[in-house]
Amino acid sequence: MRPLTEQETKTLFEKLANYTGRSLSHLVAPPASTDSSSANANAQVMTFRLHGLRVYYLPVSLANLATTIARPNLLSVGTCIGKFSKHGKFRMHITALDVIAPHARYKLWVKPNGEMPFLYGGNVVKAHVGKWSEDCPAHQGVVVLAMNDTPLVFLQNETTSRSDRGD
Amino acid sequence: MSKSKNNRVSKLPPPKQQKTKSFSAVNKKSKRKTYTEEELGIPKLNMITPTGIKAPSGKKKGKIFIDDPKSMMTILALVNADKEGQIESKMMKARQMEEIREARRKEAEQREQTRKNKLEETKNDIKKGNKKGRHADVAINPKPHRQKDQKPEKRVAFAKSTAGLV
Repeated sequence: MRPLTEQETKTLFEKLANYTGRSLSHLVAPPASTDSSSANANAQVMTFRLHGLRVYYLPVSLANLATTIARPNLLSVGTCIGKFSKHGKFRMHITALDVIAPHARYKLWVKPNGEMPFLYGGNVVKAHVGKWSEDCPAHQGVVVLAMNDTPLVFLQNETTSRSDRGD
Repeated sequence: MSKSKNNRVSKLPPPKQQKTKSFSAVNKKSKRKTYTEEELGIPKLNMITPTGIKAPSGKKKGKIFIDDPKSMMTILALVNADKEGQIESKMMKARQMEEIREARRKEAEQREQTRKNKLEETKNDIKKGNKKGRHADVAINPKPHRQKDQKPEKRVAFAKSTAGLV
């Protein structure tokens, strides 16, 4: 397990920035809360670690503790964000959904009757769309949520979501 | 048998006395002149370490890790700015395309409207009994008859004759 290099960090952030907006910085440095000092103490500084080819997102304290475990014995630590391919590209895993969902730039909410058809591989039909972020350009990363704000999937949309089209 | 044996022995070269190298001769060989690279005049690109590469001294070997939040934020800011630019350009392009589409739609609508208006006009005219329809101008200017004093049209004579022959 080791920290990421500069190039790896850049590749990782480029991928994450497909789905998230400016608030991605909260992943690295949690926003300073103003209410109480105890909340500040609770706010853990998070970091990324590379183990094998996989990238994990975990608190620094946990990362420090994990150094006591030998590399071959360490299976996983923290939340797996994704893995680097041998070509150096980064592929996100579904486990990253919980990390990126609160910071997603474009979101789409699916009505309860459309959840299951979508999760079983169908498309999101217009009748099932509860609401969506306006002005979403084509081929942009979108997080799909249920109506009760449970993130379901992250994906790249194929067309612009234009409400005025009428199709 | 013995004859052949004798022959084989005779083929061997006669024994010679071995010469031992003197100490001075050995010493001479080891004192061969060694040339420096400059003296040889080898092109610089052919050397083992290319001229451009210089091993940095006093620098960390291997990977440089980014672990502190500050440098992470710097990279993040760069990446974010890049992405913002990309999204902005995408939006601009989409907006432009939308404008073009809108203009085209309006033009088509206008064309349709003018066509409809024309049709309506014609319909009204017909309803009113005005027979000025599509062929009205033909009726007004019928094909002018040929006058008597004009020359008759030229005709080809041989066409007739050949038909007769056949």
